[in-house]
Amino acid sequence: MSWSGFKKTVNRAGTTLLQKTGQIERTVDRDFADEETKYKAFEKECQQLQKESKGYLDAMRAMTSAQGRLADTIDVFYGAADKSSEGAMAAHAYKRGVDDLDTGVGRELDAPYRTTIMEPLGKMNAYFPVVNEHIAKRNKKMLDYDSARSRMNKLINKPSEDPTKLPRAQQEHDDAKEVFDMLNDQLISEIPQLLDLRVPFFDPSFEAMIRMQCKFAEEGYEKLSGVQRYFADNVRDDYAAGQLDAQVEGVLQEMRELTICGAQ
Amino acid sequence: MKGISKAFARTPHMLTTKVGMSKKSLDPEFEDYARRFASIETATEKLLKDTKAYIDAVNNLFTHGVGFAHHFAEVFHPNPGEYNLSSKHPEAAHTIANVDAYELAMEELKSSIAPELELIESRIIGPVKELQGVLKTIRKTITKREHKLVDYDRYNNSLTKLRDKKEKSLNDEKNLFKLEQDFEVASNEYDYINTTLKQEMPRFLMQCTQFVDPLFHSFFYMQLNIFYMMLEKLSGFAEGKYDVSISGNDIATDYEAKRTDAWQTIEEMNITQRFLSTTKMVHAHRAASGQGPPSYLGRSTSATSSVTSTFSKKAPPPPPGSNFSAPPPPYSPGPSAAIPGIAKKAPPPPPPVKPKPKPAVSYVEALFDFTPQAEGDLEFRAGDRIEVVQRTDSAEDWWTGRIGDRQGVFPGNYVQ
Repeated sequence: MSWSGFKKTVNRAGTTLLQKTGQIERTVDRDFADEETKYKAFEKECQQLQKESKGYLDAMRAMTSAQGRLADTIDVFYGAADKSSEGAMAAHAYKRGVDDLDTGVGRELDAPYRTTIMEPLGKMNAYFPVVNEHIAKRNKKMLDYDSARSRMNKLINKPSEDPTKLPRAQQEHDDAKEVFDMLNDQLISEIPQLLDLRVPFFDPSFEAMIRMQCKFAEEGYEKLSGVQRYFADNVRDDYAAGQLDAQVEGVLQEMRELTICGAQ
Repeated sequence: MKGISKAFARTPHMLTTKVGMSKKSLDPEFEDYARRFASIETATEKLLKDTKAYIDAVNNLFTHGVGFAHHFAEVFHPNPGEYNLSSKHPEAAHTIANVDAYELAMEELKSSIAPELELIESRIIGPVKELQGVLKTIRKTITKREHKLVDYDRYNNSLTKLRDKKEKSLNDEKNLFKLEQDFEVASNEYDYINTTLKQEMPRFLMQCTQFVDPLFHSFFYMQLNIFYMMLEKLSGFAEGKYDVSISGNDIATDYEAKRTDAWQTIEEMNITQRFLSTTKMVHAHRAASGQGPPSYLGRSTSATSSVTSTFSKKAPPPPPGSNFSAPPPPYSPGPSAAIPGIAKKAPPPPPPVKPKPKPAVSYVEALFDFTPQAEGDLEFRAGDRIEVVQRTDSAEDWWTGRIGDRQGVFPGNYVQ
């Protein structure tokens, strides 16, 4: 921090302290406070929205890639005994299906998702630090203004011996007020604009999101349902009737009856 | 205790086999099964891990889906003081109307997926864990076989060594007899366990396939069902509202076509620009707004400072009526406003002290309505009585006046 910056910080800290103890009057600007509250809420929403969107994209990828790995593993099980059974064929088809899905999602949805969701959010969220900087600056200038005003008022109430003091204080006050007003007015006029523009800014993303979600579900359903052709006819009904679980249990029971499994 | 003494007895032999001093029996048939068994072991572990990863991913997908919907809806909800957002942004009305329904749909979808995930938990993860238990006991049997094999080998080795010995002592003869017995036992034990394993391993491996078959089918249908539910809910929601039958690339293209100039506008706003120094900003501000610095510099203390200051307010507008076709001209930047920095480098002399004892109050009467054109201007209607705070010699200048508690400058030629 530069020397002058340091001096400013120290002076402002003093002003804050005096304001806390009620020595210096604080400027209260309801217009600004209202806008700031709304702006802060918007900032928070946007940041959370960005987090959720990223999570959604990651989850889509994680889901299809987990399916791909599952397919590999199931293949190993079939490979342990016989590689040419019906089940093994189906497992191959499944593997192909989920691989298609995985690459398909990567190819067809990744880029649009970035363009329509991540990019606008990233852009909006990049503005916030800049706007916050403006707000911080405004708050600092407000402290300067407050202290200049209190100094001037003191001189008016208790005129000093030195006749040049009051004019100087007055000018400092006017200077500080000008700077503060300028920053304040700019924020008060532009924050509502920014908040208002959020609607057209994010609007097209909504449709895109719904479309992509549908696309993902559709792709997934299509790619997977094709695998059913390789299943025996009764599998679907067996699944519905809970027969498959009984089969799994049955095999596990048989395994336990093996001598090598401790059933001696 | 027995286990430990056995382990001690086996250690020397294990060491000598490692360095190749004594030979180790190999059973290629068994080795093959063992290899396949090991691959099943790792596969089971992977299956468990990936199933969990899959459940987590699906869970995340729907949690984030709901989160997205929620926060998106929040962004599109009107702020306090914002009435009728959709009439203000007619192009986004469709979105504004649908965000809440979307959030609801996503929540429903998430809760309808939950039982499906529980199903995976109980019907897939459960059995796979049981299989892991089975694998563990079999692994124990295999380890036991290893031990028995070590016993077999070491007795075998000792026995051969002793038999090959040319001159056997009495002790050796005794040992030989004992070793023969031990070898007999070890060989029996090993044979038994090895044969059992060799008999049952192929069956077990078959069973693994039989195990995974229905499991795979169940899992498949669960996965399919998740996609199906997602598809059904989303297309049900989009039905008649959104055209979802377009390809991924078209989604982006369509999006870009619909992107409004909001991007541009936000980009160009002052508060989204990185902060310049305040000084520069003040000058830019003065130049942009095209007025002299407010308050003391060009106005309130007009007579002196408008001369000394480099900034000055333009001559006040002529009174209306006399020249109706020419409205008051807009302000234009002061001569040096375009050269920022001057005012700071050469600060104007302090304005004259406001006279403390006020001169006799004088009043003027407004001849015309005066509408403020800048901050600090005093608004009045024709006929208002204005207390003059400060006046100049010329009526073609800005005077300072007060009405009630409002104080500001006004053109001197508007009053008499």
